[in-house]
Amino acid sequence: MSIKNDIILRLENITKEFPGVLALDRVSLEVKQGEVHVLLGENGAGKSTLMKILCGVYKKDGGKIFIDNKEVTINGVKDAEKLGIGIIHQEFNLLPFRDIAQNIFLGKEPRKNIKLVDVIDRSVMYKKCRELLDSLEININEYALVKDLGVAQKQMVEIAKALSSEVKILIMDEPTATLTKNEIDKLFNIIKQLKAKGVSIIYISHRLEEIKMIGDRVTVLRDGKYIGTVEVCDTSTDELVKMMVGRKIENLYNRTYNKIGKEALRVEGLTLDKRIRDVSFKIHEGEIVGFYGLVGAGRTEVAKTVFGEYKPDKGSIFVFGRKLSKLTPTEAVKNKIGLLPEDRKEEGLTIKMSVKQNIVQASLKKVFPSGILKEDLELEISKKYIKELNIATPDAHKIVKNLSGGNQQKVVLAKWLLTESDIIIFDEPTRGIDVGAKAEIYEIMDELAKKGRAIMMISSDIKEIMGLTDRIYVMYQGKIIAEFDHQNYNQEEIISFAIGKGEKHG
Amino acid sequence: MVNLINSKNKFKKVPGILFGLIAVVVIFSVTTRYFFTLNNFINILEQASILVIASFAMTLTILLGKIDMSIGSIMSLTGVVTGLMIHNGMPVWISVFLGVVAGALLGMFNGYLISYQGFDFWIVTFSSMGIIQSLALVITNGATVPGFGNDFRFLGDGSLFGLPVIVLIASGITILLVFLTLRTTFGSNLYSVGGSEQISKYAGINTEAIVFKTYILSGILAGIAGIVLASKVNSASPIAGSGYEFDAIAATLIGGTPFEGGRGGIVGTLIGALIIAILMNGLNLYGFTPPIQFTLIGFIIVLIIIIDVLNEKYKAKKWGK
Repeated sequence: MSIKNDIILRLENITKEFPGVLALDRVSLEVKQGEVHVLLGENGAGKSTLMKILCGVYKKDGGKIFIDNKEVTINGVKDAEKLGIGIIHQEFNLLPFRDIAQNIFLGKEPRKNIKLVDVIDRSVMYKKCRELLDSLEININEYALVKDLGVAQKQMVEIAKALSSEVKILIMDEPTATLTKNEIDKLFNIIKQLKAKGVSIIYISHRLEEIKMIGDRVTVLRDGKYIGTVEVCDTSTDELVKMMVGRKIENLYNRTYNKIGKEALRVEGLTLDKRIRDVSFKIHEGEIVGFYGLVGAGRTEVAKTVFGEYKPDKGSIFVFGRKLSKLTPTEAVKNKIGLLPEDRKEEGLTIKMSVKQNIVQASLKKVFPSGILKEDLELEISKKYIKELNIATPDAHKIVKNLSGGNQQKVVLAKWLLTESDIIIFDEPTRGIDVGAKAEIYEIMDELAKKGRAIMMISSDIKEIMGLTDRIYVMYQGKIIAEFDHQNYNQEEIISFAIGKGEKHG
Repeated sequence: MVNLINSKNKFKKVPGILFGLIAVVVIFSVTTRYFFTLNNFINILEQASILVIASFAMTLTILLGKIDMSIGSIMSLTGVVTGLMIHNGMPVWISVFLGVVAGALLGMFNGYLISYQGFDFWIVTFSSMGIIQSLALVITNGATVPGFGNDFRFLGDGSLFGLPVIVLIASGITILLVFLTLRTTFGSNLYSVGGSEQISKYAGINTEAIVFKTYILSGILAGIAGIVLASKVNSASPIAGSGYEFDAIAATLIGGTPFEGGRGGIVGTLIGALIIAILMNGLNLYGFTPPIQFTLIGFIIVLIIIIDVLNEKYKAKKWGK
């Protein structure tokens, strides 16, 4: 085969702004025909946003897109489809109660020529579906409902769906995040087949070992900016990691390591179906303990189980040496455990209520023992926290929905400070928050540790977690597979555990 | 690894509630003498027809993951509109046609606000339920529009080929809707939007148009139900349709279309409506008075839903997450 060096896709200076966040800042990208182009970057670097612009889900605020050297406009999903751009989203985009053929041909069902209504040509649809599945060597019945499939099978159906129309450029957004080793091999085989047919693949991942296996070139994004493009064969993992995380705001993390107090939280043998497997750990007073791992490694599940939202199959939780008999969020709050969840807007805040209502929400009994609300008192307490945490809001009556991400996070924090939580769980506390507010949150966390609170911190930002914590547990596929003390922190080593080093694939 | 799922039949969906229908028929057939007769079956179908049509109107919107609480009111209004036009000398067929158009317009009103304006479907249809009901009362001054001539009565009370016309109408509508929902792109999109509006949008489907059209269709069906009801009872009361929305919801839920939308369908609702009609008929044969019938039917619906939930849980366990 001749070497194909034609540039099929060129993105020039793509810019995208969300309220308060510059998600993409003049990002450019060139993709050659028939190559696997890896898009690398930390969570929040702008990879998914860029791809959603390319496939018509988001509209860009600036920049140009060229396909085969012609400038194109993409105003919707249909436009992208016509240009031969297919995408496999990070989350599944399948309807559970429809069968495989119906999902694959969703919105583009083969039709019969009847004037009055569009009648689906079912025999053609199921036949085409079977051919498509066969060509990808997917042995699933085309009549099976999606809800009855396993994760890997769903992934295969997603691939088939993306390939059901003529695709020149296929975007895969972290396709292996939920797959096992065997399934990944199969996926890579399919990718090689597609490459041989001249399809270009944009492959989003932060599993470094995969890049060596299938990538041709790598483009690195960081904080919404283009960092560089390198040939996979000319680069090393170290260099990629450096490109990915090499920011220079060293003084962002000012951690004063305190004297460790007594044991505040102890978890023993926690197991939750396949999501958490036999997890044990301890957190002491005055300690910030980090949980690092890939998305889906089970960190959030551990947090939510400790908080009582998920009921574990096995395991016990001890708070200051006392075993919790009941595991429910009510019980957790009673035992002074607070949770700042990953999804602030859905789980952390009552988004349509005011700042003051949110702050007192978890402490109503304590603040108003009579059961009658006193607005003055509510206001007074809120003002105290607004000042203490430097929450940028015109007043305590403001609806939290209208605050920026950083300030929303501070409101959640105020809620748990008011309950006087001894153990505070931060799940991705700085996701989607700008650098200024990040620094403030780090400062508050350090302050809390100084005061003897025990803090559990989940983060996918390696710099952040290394800069702030006393210890790090690394999780991989539901298990804690490594523990580091802050004296022994080594970024590459931590990342390599998170992506499965030291874990023999079955 | 990828499993080979071979059996096509394993996934053929027979609505589980079909067994419920059979059970009810068997119980009444064994325990009462009159139930298992051709006459009574035709009688049941005749009784069920209007509920069947109204329930389809409801089912379409519930498949979308939404609801139409104004169905009963639309029935009342289209009934009196058609009735008044006939009494004012309009030809019967034109009056009927305009009645159906009125239903379509009301559906359009609901659909426009919900799809293109993005208002909450509960608020919109609850409000229009009240507005349309009042309209029906205002234009009739609260009085019932009295009896009609034979032309119009043919729809609800006549018979053709030995079968009640009303049953033929309901059957025709059933066939059309089964075809529409299961064989056309519109139907496929209807299920998709109910399954997930976002996924449908990502697939390039014009979800607003689907919602809009579905509410129009729902309005048309409610209109037909209202007109046929007026014809059947030989008068158009401005509150004739009131309460039908709840029976329609019951028929839809019993038939296996849950409030989340995206699954279930017309056939299930047909069975659900038939079950309700048979229960009324059978309990009547037992000699229960209507209030007690309603109480018992309420309990039976709860029972059916509990069994359904348990069944789903069992299946979920079997499949493992």
